[in-house]
Amino acid sequence: MSEPTLESLVPDIPTRLKTGFFDGLQTTWKLVKYVIPLYILVELLKGTSYLATFGDLFAPAMRLFGLPGEAAMAFLAGFTLNLYAAIAILVPLQLEPWQVTQCGLMMGIAHNLLLEGGVLRSTGARAWLITLARLLIAILAGLLFAAWRALGGG
Amino acid sequence: METLLTAIAGALLLAVKLTLIVVPLVMLFELLRHLAVFRRSGRKVEPLMRGMGLTPAAAVPLFTGIFLGIAYGAGIIIKVAREKRLPPRELFLMGLFLATCHAVVEDTLIFVAIGGNGWQMLGIRIVLAIVMTWLLARFWNRPGRKTASPVDGPTSLPERD
Repeated sequence: MSEPTLESLVPDIPTRLKTGFFDGLQTTWKLVKYVIPLYILVELLKGTSYLATFGDLFAPAMRLFGLPGEAAMAFLAGFTLNLYAAIAILVPLQLEPWQVTQCGLMMGIAHNLLLEGGVLRSTGARAWLITLARLLIAILAGLLFAAWRALGGG
Repeated sequence: METLLTAIAGALLLAVKLTLIVVPLVMLFELLRHLAVFRRSGRKVEPLMRGMGLTPAAAVPLFTGIFLGIAYGAGIIIKVAREKRLPPRELFLMGLFLATCHAVVEDTLIFVAIGGNGWQMLGIRIVLAIVMTWLLARFWNRPGRKTASPVDGPTSLPERD
């Protein structure tokens, strides 16, 4: 027990709970920063014709994934900003649970493309290729999940 | 005016709800992630990594990316990739895997908090990442061939993206 072992590097349970608590608050704060303004914006837009017009425009494309046209707005926010912004827009749209899963699946693969593209480039990888791959993989995953859903799974 | 107040009330309620869901989930993850089962699983994934064209040298950047994500994990990914001199082919295969499957804990948890199914999101992403990286590793099996490499040193990339 005199030498430091792998076991001794593991923090004890109170420390872990404390770390988890503060990490959790940090994640929540990142969410809330986007959720409050964007949620209010979308709620207000719901009362106008703008959201409906926007939704109609994207409805044919979003239907492929089993999503309403309005969800395209969350995708735009997710691709250019981040997932917190996307979530803030999704919640007022009141999607079904499986549609939330669909959004989480697709956006989990492709999000924050501008910032992460920059990071990837600095590793020496061809960022545009990986960014393109992420968009295509997200589409593929979305089509697969929608098909699985249509066949009675999920 | 009433619409605005309803919207503000809804936003605040959602913020409280998210806090109550996200904090316990992250605490639970923090408790579980140190369990010996998870630490020992590192050795078990070696054959799987080999199948995807990845050597043990790629394990640290790979797992950093999977759990921390590309933005937060970038520092470690870049450092290890340079120190261990991961070849371009392996870097690209790792990049493809991480493109599909990164920051899996936080990204999944926040969608679970608003009603999504975490196991489905996670399961599909992991399976897709493994299958695609495995396929690419099979089709692109000439490590020495520079001309076909989709990855170059940073100096050879003055182009726009």
